[in-house]
Amino acid sequence: MSKIMEVSHLKKSFGSLEAVKKIDFYVEEGSLFAFLGPNGAGKSTTIDMVSTQLKPDGGRVVINGYELGQEDEHIRASIGIVFQDSLLDPLLTVEENLRTRGSFYGLSRNDLDAAITSASRTANVTEFLKRPYGKLSGGQRRRADIARALIHTPKILFLDEPTTGLDPQTRKSVWAMILKLQREQGMTVFLTTHYMEEAAQADYITIIDHGEVLAHGTPLELKTRYTSDVLKIKPRHDEELAALLEEQAITYERDAAGIYSIALNQTVDALPLLDLFRNNIENVEIINGTLDDVFIRLTGTEVRN
Amino acid sequence: MLAIAQRNLRIFFRDRAAVLFSLLAVFIILGLYVIFLADNIANGLSGIPGVKFLINSWILAGILAVTSVTSTTGAFGIMVEDRSRKILKDFTTSPIRRAKLTGGYILSACAVGIIMSIATLLLGEGYLLLFDGELLPWASLLEVLGLIVLAVLASSSIIFFITTFMRSSNAFSAASTVIGTLIGFLTGIYVPVGSLPDGVQWVIKLFPISHAGVLIRSVMLERPMEISFAGAPTEAMEQFQQNMGVVYYFGDYTVQSWLSIAILIGTTLLFFGLSMLNLSRKSK
Repeated sequence: MSKIMEVSHLKKSFGSLEAVKKIDFYVEEGSLFAFLGPNGAGKSTTIDMVSTQLKPDGGRVVINGYELGQEDEHIRASIGIVFQDSLLDPLLTVEENLRTRGSFYGLSRNDLDAAITSASRTANVTEFLKRPYGKLSGGQRRRADIARALIHTPKILFLDEPTTGLDPQTRKSVWAMILKLQREQGMTVFLTTHYMEEAAQADYITIIDHGEVLAHGTPLELKTRYTSDVLKIKPRHDEELAALLEEQAITYERDAAGIYSIALNQTVDALPLLDLFRNNIENVEIINGTLDDVFIRLTGTEVRN
Repeated sequence: MLAIAQRNLRIFFRDRAAVLFSLLAVFIILGLYVIFLADNIANGLSGIPGVKFLINSWILAGILAVTSVTSTTGAFGIMVEDRSRKILKDFTTSPIRRAKLTGGYILSACAVGIIMSIATLLLGEGYLLLFDGELLPWASLLEVLGLIVLAVLASSSIIFFITTFMRSSNAFSAASTVIGTLIGFLTGIYVPVGSLPDGVQWVIKLFPISHAGVLIRSVMLERPMEISFAGAPTEAMEQFQQNMGVVYYFGDYTVQSWLSIAILIGTTLLFFGLSMLNLSRKSK
């Protein structure tokens, strides 16, 4: 696979605040790339820079083979963006909005018509094309935003928290649409999100904080590297288990409900332990590390705050 | 550029409140005029035939000058709104040239100005007809249309310059309120300019848009003055022209039409240039 986007040594300061200190990453063509970080980590600043809105202080960005700062017009033609807030005109219908925005890309009249039809079909907005954008529900608006971003069939689609503020059902359907775009149409998707269950479906994740990359890898790699599984045991005889654990010099924690937690390096490490306690187990479970754990471990903050 | 202009026009005319508010100053002037200004002025001119037609034409000419300013202000409101609501982000991340984008805003503001002025002119002509007046002859109508275009160009250029400083919708609506309030005074249409103190007269005469007023008055009052001052001494008409601002004097010099036209064109170019300078200073 080739790299459709490559960012190296990206930097940006606002006065004395170093919003982005040094960020490096690349995105493979056709992949679903998740860009995570707590609020104020430098996500938006990075997106503003790579989408040609903000001039970087240093570093190099290449998107679809075009160099940022020199071939911005080409970059703008290669990217589609779904912004966090709705940026279509509330007084115009969805179709008028798509037509106005579509006219920026130098399409002929026929091509523009075809582009509107295909984008509205993909984003599933055909049924409310003639309604004013301002009168749509949150989910419909989001779909219209996506249709707008798809109007010129971009090489790479940026989505800045596309499902934030939607009700669970709409969130699910918007998310399904994004997955479909990537899996079926082979579109490269670059996404920021607050929902770890969404990030977990990405091909690759980069986590940043304080303007620097903290970790990157596939969801599985990150989980293996930054979390451990936990064995939880509810014993029949409390003291017996405690004594046994002390004797074996195994570190553990015991909560108020009398449940013992033992950190594991690998899931299979649970087997010998279970064997050891075999006769003293009332209840047992093994908890896998989650992306949430990865995130909290790396950034020291909860994802949603 | 056309697509942007078309979008702006749609947004402007779909927002009924915006359309109405852009004409607020006009309604206020009209209200004041109908309630007492008309009688006041007419009393000062008692005994003159066709005085109603004369005065109505006079105020209509002034209103047209004001419309060119207030309607373009309303249209440029869209530009400020796009900036403050970040809609501009969607445009600047698209492969459209900044110059075309800006051109689209200016084009739509001029279009709004011309459309609203023509609507005002048509309504005004209807009003004249209703109160023992006559319609403008075709040749004069064309002249007025040409002057409307000039007035709109000069006004939109000034307003565009002001807009380049505005970041928030609140600041802009405050500015447009101030503009709407002052414009009636600055163009000298509330009261006959001759009845004002010298200093104020100078302010009015130096304000470029009032030259649009003078030019439009001189065309629109041609016929009514013929009727009203038939058989009267020339001095009477000259005095009327000076008093009502149909002709301006810079000291002893009578301002000719070409100079007023030159002032309008010069204003257009000057403020357009200044706006460009201000815009290029801001973009990094």
